[in-house]
Amino acid sequence: MQPSCLSCDFRPDRFFCDMPTEALQAFDEIKSLAFYPRSSVLFAEGRPVRGVYILCDGRAKLSICSDSGRRMTLRVAGPGEVLGLGATLSNTPYEITAELLDNSQVVFVRRKELLRFLRERPEICIQIVRMLSQDLHGAYERVRSISLIRSHRPQMVFRRRAMVV
Amino acid sequence: MQREPENAGIRCQVQGVVVLTPYGLDIIESCLACKMRAEHIFCDLQPAALQSFESIKYATAYPKGAILFVEGQAPRGIFVLCKGRVKLSICSTDGKTLILKIAEPGEVLGLSASVSGKPYELTAETVDPCQINFVKRDDFLRFLKENSDACLRVAEQLSDKYNSACREIRALGLSHSAAEKLAKLLLEWSTRNGETHKAEPRLKLALTHEEIAQMIGTSRETVTRLFADLKRRQIVQAKGSTLLIRNKAALKAMALNQ
Repeated sequence: MQPSCLSCDFRPDRFFCDMPTEALQAFDEIKSLAFYPRSSVLFAEGRPVRGVYILCDGRAKLSICSDSGRRMTLRVAGPGEVLGLGATLSNTPYEITAELLDNSQVVFVRRKELLRFLRERPEICIQIVRMLSQDLHGAYERVRSISLIRSHRPQMVFRRRAMVV
Repeated sequence: MQREPENAGIRCQVQGVVVLTPYGLDIIESCLACKMRAEHIFCDLQPAALQSFESIKYATAYPKGAILFVEGQAPRGIFVLCKGRVKLSICSTDGKTLILKIAEPGEVLGLSASVSGKPYELTAETVDPCQINFVKRDDFLRFLKENSDACLRVAEQLSDKYNSACREIRALGLSHSAAEKLAKLLLEWSTRNGETHKAEPRLKLALTHEEIAQMIGTSRETVTRLFADLKRRQIVQAKGSTLLIRNKAALKAMALNQ
């Protein structure tokens, strides 16, 4: 469908994808494009890091799991988002699980190649730093709202919050 | 002439030479001469980048209990923690304080706010007397644009913070009880001091019960009660501010809510 990022119509609207032509050509060389059916898992929490996934279309559910197996959805990521960025840059296991909600087209970039790509292009590196800050802001926002929930009666507070919204 | 002013250590700037200060801090004036640089993710920059960082930073010293920035304040810049520890806390929507973590030397504080221009999302308060390098936001952004190597390091720092925020979410949102959270916290602390493989790891409690309560999102009374319970069951033993974990297996079982 869209083998090259250069011919992608959505590119200008997307934070990460909107890079200069020269950078995009280099990016085309390191990316690999794949189609995944819905409910496939792009990466799972705790698994060794391989690289980043960029959603071209479709949505992905990002969730987190406790040691005892309980699961909590953090948020739903939309098209144009870069997933697994934190783990890739710090070279630690994936900290969340990403599961596709739709049949999606996904771009994958291996860790090593992404790092090399970034090292050569400071302007994109800054873009990445901005994206990470946004992720972090979202996570803190989540911490702020969760810490309000009393450990013994989570249901109550959820309902009350829902009413306010 | 003989009497030095009290802040002599802060004022005396002998290039790269360490001077004793009233706080007992060795103020390191120049990053180029810093011996701890290699161990810190952010600081271990290439010489050229380090030189330009040197020209935009302000080396400052803070007493214990100083507030570096407050949640909601417009970002002024970044604070690179050289020495001492800083408490990072967040205020929940209902006004409770939650301590996210105790930052250690080498960490960069106020990073994401400075990069994105959004208000600081945390409050940073010094726990010990600290040496901190402050860099103004504009200077820092310019520095990042010019140094891709530094930019990658910043990305790495941000990723680390993101990972720990995820851990916090997991601990807060998915743990059942305060006991479970306290057990997890103690186990986490015991792995930090290189005592992981010991059968009975030892750890230093640097925080008060009140602060521990704020770390795990519960009340001071609950923490005191839990500690008393742990001691009664011979799971931990306290000697002053040092805690000896006597029954690691039981603590692990508690952390897994079994």
